[in-house]
Amino acid sequence: MKVTVAQYYPGSSPIHRLDPRAKFIAVSALAVALFLRDSYAGLLVFAAAGGVAYALSGVPASWFWRAFRPLLWLVGLTFLAQVLFAPGDPFFSFWIFHLSWAGLDLAAFLSLRLVVLVLIGSVLTLTTAPLALTDGLAWLGRPLRRLRVPTDELALMVTIALRFIPTLLVELDQIMRAQRARGADFRSGGLGQRARALVPVLVPLFVLSFRRADELALAMEARCYRPGIVRTRLHPLHAGTADAVLLALTAAIIAAGLLV
Amino acid sequence: MSGSASSVAPHEDARPGIALACRGLGFSYSEARAPIPALREVSFELCAGGSLALLGASGSGKSTLLQVVRGLDEAETGAVLLDGRAAGDVGYPELRREVGLVFQVPELQLFAATAREDVAFGPRRLGWSGDEVEAAVDEAMDLAGLPPADFGDRHPYALSGGEQRRLALAGVLAMRPRLLLLDEPFVSLDPRTRRELARILRRLKDSGVTLVLATHDVDLAWSLCDELLVLDRGRVAVAGAWDFGAAGGHLLAADRLREPFLVTLWRRLGRDPREAPRTAAAAAEALS
Amino acid sequence: MTPPSLHGSPAIVDVAGLHYRYPGGRTDALADLSLDVQQGQTVAVVGANGSGKSTLARLLGGLERAAQARHAVAAGHDLMSEAGRLEARRDVGVLFQDPENQLVAECVEDDVAFGLENLGWAPPEIRARVDEMLERFGLGDLRHREPHLLSGGQKQRTALAGVLAVPRRVLVLDEPTAMLDPAGRSEVLEAVAALRDDGLAIVFITQEMDEVPGADRVLALERGAVVYSGGVAGLFGDERLVRRLGLGLPAAGEVALELAGRGRRLDGPLPLTLDELVAALAEPA
Repeated sequence: MKVTVAQYYPGSSPIHRLDPRAKFIAVSALAVALFLRDSYAGLLVFAAAGGVAYALSGVPASWFWRAFRPLLWLVGLTFLAQVLFAPGDPFFSFWIFHLSWAGLDLAAFLSLRLVVLVLIGSVLTLTTAPLALTDGLAWLGRPLRRLRVPTDELALMVTIALRFIPTLLVELDQIMRAQRARGADFRSGGLGQRARALVPVLVPLFVLSFRRADELALAMEARCYRPGIVRTRLHPLHAGTADAVLLALTAAIIAAGLLV
Repeated sequence: MSGSASSVAPHEDARPGIALACRGLGFSYSEARAPIPALREVSFELCAGGSLALLGASGSGKSTLLQVVRGLDEAETGAVLLDGRAAGDVGYPELRREVGLVFQVPELQLFAATAREDVAFGPRRLGWSGDEVEAAVDEAMDLAGLPPADFGDRHPYALSGGEQRRLALAGVLAMRPRLLLLDEPFVSLDPRTRRELARILRRLKDSGVTLVLATHDVDLAWSLCDELLVLDRGRVAVAGAWDFGAAGGHLLAADRLREPFLVTLWRRLGRDPREAPRTAAAAAEALS
Repeated sequence: MTPPSLHGSPAIVDVAGLHYRYPGGRTDALADLSLDVQQGQTVAVVGANGSGKSTLARLLGGLERAAQARHAVAAGHDLMSEAGRLEARRDVGVLFQDPENQLVAECVEDDVAFGLENLGWAPPEIRARVDEMLERFGLGDLRHREPHLLSGGQKQRTALAGVLAVPRRVLVLDEPTAMLDPAGRSEVLEAVAALRDDGLAIVFITQEMDEVPGADRVLALERGAVVYSGGVAGLFGDERLVRRLGLGLPAAGEVALELAGRGRRLDGPLPLTLDELVAALAEPA
């Protein structure tokens, strides 16, 4: 069963080869900048930047749609909010729904901004391997170590969690089928009944996970792992000129987006 | 008894086994763009009380076939016939409830606080009365070699691996299946429990329950099952009597499938391989 | 008093009088166990469930602390001291039963690199060693594969490559094929057999008799105590012991045992293969 969890699309485009830390900083900065000003012109600048980056990455457009589709409801909600609480004079009213040009304009802007946000975010998640991203975040979070936050250990935990998600999904399916074969019914009944029906599925999954944690910890210790050690990496992070260029470009785009 | 929604636990003197027939079964997994055919034109017959070994490489469709027969997945083409009846016929849903399926690594299904509670899950779901459930649970645990007096109140997770396997089996047996499907029941078992489990299955077979055993262990299959079905990439390669000759050499080589040891032994000793004994004990008897 | 093996005896694993009890356990999981393995030797350890085999594996790997021992040395490290155990984890590799619960990373090559990353090796050296291991264990084509897409045999070979990526002096295998199908089992056994040519000391723990023959010596455990220690042929010649230990026998062995039970004892050690059985049957009674 092929399960793509973190939506990584392997490749070797210039975007793929950028350092995950630089990409993360760029994407975060752009995301914040997006919300600083309400201007279609600014939005266009950010959208163009995101579009160009996406095109350069070589990832098929269908993958963006896959990333965006789950958020379609949010767009719908935005529209609905504007239709219910329209600012300005309504040109059409029905019961509690009021349509005004100002309202539609706002709804359109907010929805487009959401699309651009997801576009920029996807460039990061589609072109950065989960392990690389986790490593990058762990490096960026290093200052937190002074506050005794175990950033490296957290990064390893995230990696392990991602590694086991597909396995757990298969086991979940297996357990559900086995219980169905014993007559369990997960579909009928109200919320309470369905929640109770999940007990024969969740309990074994938990127990499985505890045993797994024990065995995995032992296997890791057998390979010389200990919390707090300094680990090197097979794929170390290398920031280069391309990343500096990325950050400079990002600053320029933000300036353009805010001033245009 | 057909037609009643909540069934009464079947009496012991009812016909012991259900006859199974599959006619042209087809099934695929729909993975986004490319459907993966898991079963193609699978047909075979197994009489009531018969025993069928289901062999084939990993991915050949054994688990899929068992789950379709049990009704967890619906076949896209063809039909599963229980005692000659197909889906839609009178009495089919009741018959289907008497088909038990033991999954691979069935210990995964254990969840209750006590062994007895866990075994009772299936019978309760069938709507039997409290007394019937208790009787079925006791019977099933005895059959699985876990006397309820000793094991009834123990926590499932406190049991050994072999005991957990047998407890999960008891959970299915408590539903009094007349057709029992087993998906790789011997995998990951220590040798003692393997032998124990083989004994339990032999007892079930002797009691007249129809058995279908999917396994990689050719010799265990030979000792327990009268008939053979070999799947190769979703299609039937051999069906009916144990006759590897029909499969052709390529199947034997490619899937690491081999003849039962005792058959090859008989051939090497110059004896008729069709008369080969089923168990080591029978072989020793014939040789001494 | 320093144990004799630290003075440079050839035994790379030297354990005597080992006792271990699970916290809250009523009996010893290991009682007065002694074991020694010479460099380049393979010692098989057999016994049924509950005989203490897995505990022994963890103890030898420095992953567990024995309650007491006359001495316990592995690869020159004292297993009775905390520091010694930590050092032992580097020189003694342990491969466990469940292939799934040993793989940590998102793809094969990252997992094989895990141990070396923990030891702080430089990235180019990690790369070289990982490539070597992938080549060695036939995993080259799978280097970017995610663990959940691997077969049991592939997972276990990946785990083995990861364990041996760290240069070891002793390898302990705790029932490595128990959870594998026949195809996976042959893959792993072949990989282990190839290791014997490397001069690695190997402790191979199993419940299956047909995995024992390649060993130089065999140790049989029953409820934590050693009930046999010696050559493979000696164990195979003692049918009563083999039966009592509840080990898994290939079909040939089963037939031979049944014959012995019926008064026809075959000459020579317990046959494990068809050829051995046929040959033994051909001998005049």
